[in-house]
Amino acid sequence: MSSEAIYYTAQQLAEMGKEEIPSELISNTHLIYSSPATLAFNSPGAEGFGVKRAALAVPESVMLLVAPGCCGRNTSTISSMRAYHHRYFYLMMDETDLVTGRHLKVIPDAVQEVVDSLEKKPAVVMICITCVDALLGTDMERVCRRAEEKTGVRVKPCYMYALTREGRKPPMVHVRQSIYSMLEQRSRRSSSVNIMGFFAPLDDGTELYAMLKSAGVRNIREIGRCKTYEEFQMMAEANFNLVLNPEARFAAEDLQYKLGIPSVELIRMYQTDRIHRQYEAFGQALGVTFDDTPYRQEAEAAVAEFQEQYPDTVFAVGEAMNGNPFELALALTRYGFKVSEIYGTIAPEFYVYVNKLAQLSPETKIYSNLEPTMLYYSCSTSDADLTIGKDAGYYHPGCPNVQWNSDVQPFGYEAVRDLFRALLQAKQGEEETK
Amino acid sequence: MKGLRKYLTPFAPDQSGAVSVLYDLGGIIVICDAGGCTGNICGFDEPRWFETSSAVFSAGLRDMDAILGRDDKLVEKLAMAAEKIDANFAAIIGTPVPATIGTDYRALKRLAEKKIDLPIITVETTGMNLYDFGAERALEAIFKTFTAEQAETIPGRIGVLGASPLDLAGKHPERKLEEKLLLEGASQVVIYGMGATLEDIRNAASAEKNLVVSPAGLRAAEYLKKNFGTEYEIRCPLAEDMVPEEDFSGKKVLCVHQQVMANSMRDRIRRLGGEDVTVATWFMRKPALAEPQDRILTEEDEFEELVEKEQFDCILADRTLQPIVRDYPGAWIHAPHFAVSGKLGDDE
Repeated sequence: MSSEAIYYTAQQLAEMGKEEIPSELISNTHLIYSSPATLAFNSPGAEGFGVKRAALAVPESVMLLVAPGCCGRNTSTISSMRAYHHRYFYLMMDETDLVTGRHLKVIPDAVQEVVDSLEKKPAVVMICITCVDALLGTDMERVCRRAEEKTGVRVKPCYMYALTREGRKPPMVHVRQSIYSMLEQRSRRSSSVNIMGFFAPLDDGTELYAMLKSAGVRNIREIGRCKTYEEFQMMAEANFNLVLNPEARFAAEDLQYKLGIPSVELIRMYQTDRIHRQYEAFGQALGVTFDDTPYRQEAEAAVAEFQEQYPDTVFAVGEAMNGNPFELALALTRYGFKVSEIYGTIAPEFYVYVNKLAQLSPETKIYSNLEPTMLYYSCSTSDADLTIGKDAGYYHPGCPNVQWNSDVQPFGYEAVRDLFRALLQAKQGEEETK
Repeated sequence: MKGLRKYLTPFAPDQSGAVSVLYDLGGIIVICDAGGCTGNICGFDEPRWFETSSAVFSAGLRDMDAILGRDDKLVEKLAMAAEKIDANFAAIIGTPVPATIGTDYRALKRLAEKKIDLPIITVETTGMNLYDFGAERALEAIFKTFTAEQAETIPGRIGVLGASPLDLAGKHPERKLEEKLLLEGASQVVIYGMGATLEDIRNAASAEKNLVVSPAGLRAAEYLKKNFGTEYEIRCPLAEDMVPEEDFSGKKVLCVHQQVMANSMRDRIRRLGGEDVTVATWFMRKPALAEPQDRILTEEDEFEELVEKEQFDCILADRTLQPIVRDYPGAWIHAPHFAVSGKLGDDE
């Protein structure tokens, strides 16, 4: 027994190729280690947005969680946040419900009781069901229709099926479909655009807003900025949807099919030349030319400032942050820094980054947060002196850490600029405390 | 309505109780789930998780594993982990998924024992019972598995059964508990589930006496008495800290907690002059430990009705329950219960 955490270097992974990813890095082939570094994986609701929190992104909604008690246990963490106060209700299943399915019959009454208990009638009641009903094959759409008939309030299902996590439509994909399926046909407006993908808004400072305005867009809507259900419904008038997170792809496809709204997909990156190319392609698709020069210069200036002060920084990059750890590690390497470790969940589509990393930084170690031997992880052999991501911070308790995991989402050049400013602050903070 | 919660989030489930008993013992703990239950247990119900690492794993079940009942795949994953992780046993903890597909835990245990050179424990929790049920089953399983031999009694050695961070308030309540028992004259205090090692479990028969601090410890205490002759006492010394030093004479009082804690609170209130004291619990209720006026609670409505009907002057309960009885005019003394509130008490 070696008592060491298993890792592969970027070079090893590149040599093995995306068809031969080692089993230690594939989560469904081994037990999943549960540590504070993996809380976001095992309990997405506890950090950021899991299904329960995401479904309540719909303004004026409440949720009835119909499940065994254990599924709702951690919700008090979310309930204590002001925005979610008194918006979660529970119908707890017992073993008889499991066998007879009798809980389904009382859902309309439970919805009625919840609605009656509220001072203001909710715009929608989300019924959240879990693994148990996935296995029972419950037709929750039908149950929701019955509840709607009884209460006169819109009732929609959402599915917290952790069992389907690595399937074609994992829970976080499905919940986006549930949410956007509530949009009803409206006249489209050429000056309106939706930003889809996140449940909280983009950072106010992102250049994307200004660039869209420069292209003639007057109304930019995001669910995280909608204050009322009516405002949310106005998302149905969009000329197109801008998808910034692949998990919203299916929801965007649904909207194209149902409401005729096409979509364009952009991804978050930290390599400024790639961001530039993406904006160029985006402009071509819209038939405009974006002038991103000032934003790019600002981002690159922030990188340069950090570089000037801390040129020898060695990073450890985790996945519990707003970015793809492999892309971010590649960006850092291309900016001239060293990345000693990445803690991330490798997938074939990330080999575009891994292969380049293998050329520039072949010795970078890649760990899976979820692998059982991470129990033994020790940072004593690492030379990282700055970490990014909550998980990386957990592994390197003595290092300055930038969690970079806020609900409000960084994007584009602004993300690069603000990340490097945060990194600079973290390093300076460390010096001050020395 | 039965099962409907409008004010309270669900209480700590049985699987959390089972893990809390096994957490410190140096085994591989596999929660037979898709990931969410593990996240709930570790990230929410196990305060030690942020301080000390333990080999707690999710089985990482996926839909086809459940539909096809792939126990062999789970055992294979466990065997792989056992090759890499230094452990002295392995425990498989049930959740709603195996409850739904009707997993045969005995068969799973036998299958695992054939492939893995470690003692295997299974705890048939479902996520639909409460934490004390899981703790009770886990305690029974570890003593039945590991306490095989009669040992020489060590005078003054006290074994504490049923202690759990889920119902003892504050950070490191086990330290306070140990301190109190040493002051009472114990020479050694072994708190099973909170600091005791597997070696302590093996030597459980050496205790002069066991102290049962919650109903979850009772079955294990009876097992140890029957097999090794260890006598036991039922009370929770930490209840003293829950009841303030005040005159309760003439007051009608309600204590809400796990039954042993609430009973011990009642004892103290009576020492402080109180006579009319009712104990109510949302959790396990042993008839032998109850007085006629005592109540078991399952629904929010029942608590509301009890408080309204009985017109208590004083309620000792976790303040998480207060929103159910917003118009209650009497005194409320906060008696923290992590399994109810998810809060340790110290940080409030």
